[in-house]
Amino acid sequence: MARLIGRRLLLMVPTLILVSILVFALAEVLPGNLGRFILGPYATQSAVDQLNHNLGMDKPIYTRYVEWAGHFVTGHWGTSYQYTTSVFPLVMRALGNSLLLAGFALVIIVPTSILVGVYAGLRRDSILDRAITISSLSMTVIPEFVSGVILIVVFAVTLHWLPVQAMPPQGSPFIDRFYYLILPAIPLMLLELGYIARMARVGTVQVLNMPYVRTAVLKGLPRRRVIFGHVLRNALVPTVTVIGSQIGWLIGGLVVVETLFNYPGIGNYMVNAALNHDLPLLEACVLVVAVLYMLSNLIADIVVAFLNPRIRMGG
Amino acid sequence: MSDDQFRSDYAHHLIEQVTSGKMTRRQLLVRASVFGFSATVAGQILAACGGSSSSSSSPSAAASGSALPAVVTGGTMKAVIPPPLKTLDPVTIYDQGGIVLVYQIAEYLIDLTNENALKPKLAVSWAPNPKGDVWTFKLRQGVTFNDGSPFEAADVVASIERVINPKSGSGALAALAGILSPGGTKAVDTSTVQFNLDKPFADFPYLVSASSYNTAILPRNYAGDFQKKAIGTGPWMLKSFVTNQSAKLVKNPTYWGKDAQGRQLPYLDELDFALVTDTSAANLQLQSGTVDVQPQTVFQGGQSLLSDSSLRVDVYPSTGIREVAFNVNKTPWQSKELRQAVAYCLDRKAINQALYGGRSNLGYDTFWEPTVFPGSPTPPVRAVDIAKAKSLLATAGHPNGIDVTLTVANYLENPAYAQLIQAQCKPAGINVKINEISYNAIYAGSNSTTPWLNAPMVIVEWGSRPTPGVYAQAMLLPTSAWSSSHWNNSAFVTAFNQYESTTDEATRATLATKLSSIQQDETPILVAFYISQLRTQKKNVYNIQGPGSFYFDTSQAYITA
Repeated sequence: MARLIGRRLLLMVPTLILVSILVFALAEVLPGNLGRFILGPYATQSAVDQLNHNLGMDKPIYTRYVEWAGHFVTGHWGTSYQYTTSVFPLVMRALGNSLLLAGFALVIIVPTSILVGVYAGLRRDSILDRAITISSLSMTVIPEFVSGVILIVVFAVTLHWLPVQAMPPQGSPFIDRFYYLILPAIPLMLLELGYIARMARVGTVQVLNMPYVRTAVLKGLPRRRVIFGHVLRNALVPTVTVIGSQIGWLIGGLVVVETLFNYPGIGNYMVNAALNHDLPLLEACVLVVAVLYMLSNLIADIVVAFLNPRIRMGG
Repeated sequence: MSDDQFRSDYAHHLIEQVTSGKMTRRQLLVRASVFGFSATVAGQILAACGGSSSSSSSPSAAASGSALPAVVTGGTMKAVIPPPLKTLDPVTIYDQGGIVLVYQIAEYLIDLTNENALKPKLAVSWAPNPKGDVWTFKLRQGVTFNDGSPFEAADVVASIERVINPKSGSGALAALAGILSPGGTKAVDTSTVQFNLDKPFADFPYLVSASSYNTAILPRNYAGDFQKKAIGTGPWMLKSFVTNQSAKLVKNPTYWGKDAQGRQLPYLDELDFALVTDTSAANLQLQSGTVDVQPQTVFQGGQSLLSDSSLRVDVYPSTGIREVAFNVNKTPWQSKELRQAVAYCLDRKAINQALYGGRSNLGYDTFWEPTVFPGSPTPPVRAVDIAKAKSLLATAGHPNGIDVTLTVANYLENPAYAQLIQAQCKPAGINVKINEISYNAIYAGSNSTTPWLNAPMVIVEWGSRPTPGVYAQAMLLPTSAWSSSHWNNSAFVTAFNQYESTTDEATRATLATKLSSIQQDETPILVAFYISQLRTQKKNVYNIQGPGSFYFDTSQAYITA
């Protein structure tokens, strides 16, 4: 297990280097001009050229990359071009916000979807199973901006039960943040619930057909022990893998929900940075999300290995 | 002739213009404001003409059709605006979020009334010399910055010299190019500033007013750190700013402003701005009651606000446009007839209805438009006329039609406008291919490559400009920094220079007619409408002043129970 973890951690290094090169190269082909963006459309061309020169934007891309990478690995993440503030605290603040939203959503999503999926799997082909399958599939295909707007109109605009934005006013106690996160978390739950529940259902149905489950039932084990001791442990292997792959998205990919609920998460910063050629901010956001993505997958693999001894031994 | 003598003569000149019917009363007030006559003096001039000066009104009162309720002091007003696109700095701001925030904290020499006329702010009066190339501004005394330092002429000199310094990167540099050069601004004494212009320019006060938003007056030792240490003489002080999230402002206890009854301004204690990028999200904040006011409501997507009984929508006849420029250096737009053909294809009423619910003012391809710039000559109406468009197309050498490309940014209502142009040009045989690109892409590149200045046909969005002259100066002269049409018409240039160098209103009116006629006939650009801006607020919010979204004057705003 230790070798598995060590190898995966080592693999992260070349992956991150590749990601950072790709981001730099892709940002180069994006339309736009940093100096023009900062000074606006009405600034003179000479002022724009001068600013681009001051920012080093007229240097070759490889020179800029090497300079940036050299600073980044020594802990100097640079200054955001558009906000003229240090990138590190900006990204950490946004990451904290994203982790809070993702964590809050996961706390609701994971137990609910596993419960629903396993319940449907245990009652395969029943009306309840079909209802769960169809409704979860339907929820998955509704884009979050659609469900988000509907939820806002119903619960914030019409009923006034929940706030329309995801951040409480400045100075509010920390606990208030969870109240403000309820509405943004629901569209995520609708999306993920269908996805994870269906995986849990399929896993449960497959395991229920396994000979060792039949043996367990025939040797007279109580149903509860069969389910919790034999079925769930194996049925949840694909579900855990899926959850692991979704964590990265929940942290860095919530651009739509963050925009709709005006939430200052890392996804929002990433998009703005890409649109405005703010490379120090963009690189930092992407690399942080990439690290989290890889770590969440690694953790998922470790959990799977514990659930399935064959994978552990194979590792 | 002394400046005082000149001002006296000019006042008599205005009276003659009104009494002879050559100038409307509204136009008199606007022109009087340009030459630095106070509201009282303008009222006296108007009284001499046999009229009243009470043209100014509160949009809130006008919109609600009733008198304002009694002033309520204290409380917090919450507004929703787009987040500033970059670090707050008055010298380089150019977007709505940045301009609105700076406007609360810093002030200008001159502000704008609800009718786009000038009103004294940090300058109490201003006047040109008879030639119009030296302007002297008298400054308000007893004003301090919010750090306690006194406001003096040296601060004005430093602020103006700062924005016309090529190293500043300020947009004001391009607007003042050829009019005011470095070293041209002098402090005569601590409360008098003199602007020595490169040439006579009758609309100069507008260039140092709030409409030229980079000319905010900052202390002489301003270090460019406005977001950290927001300094100004305005009614509000920045208490906190969270990037892309919120800005909280508190009242400046030492603000110089008092209302007509002598009460200290501002009335409110705090001003909270929610910084929201997405317009739908911003609209929902208003509808849910989270915020009290939205300085600019975009019609496209904001229709539900217009029918919301809990909200009041004020309509401001702004002078913002969506310029459709024909690059006359590029084929096929060298042909005047072809440009005119497109103009005759447009059903301007239908466009206005589709894009703005019919609330905007129609334009007929000239900046001298009386519906938005009072006193301008009325241009001939350009009604949709497909037969005439076809005839012009044939004259231009394209009897069987022509394919053209229209470049447009995927921004605001621009793509919808492009599609309307495409549909309306088709019956005449003008096949418009739309090249839709991102907002960043259209402004990318250098002056010689950027699409907005180099595409053969392009839609460019322009915020309000206070006078036709300021618009023409910006885009219709060979020296214009932002000419997407690259039009160079010597008759227009000559007439324009005469227009801006004379203070004789009759001569200006004659020249305005000539300029309008040339511009419309030549059609280097299409101006199909002047966008009316919408400001939406709860019904208990009163007395927000200022024309349009940028000039969000909250110093006399209040909220009733």
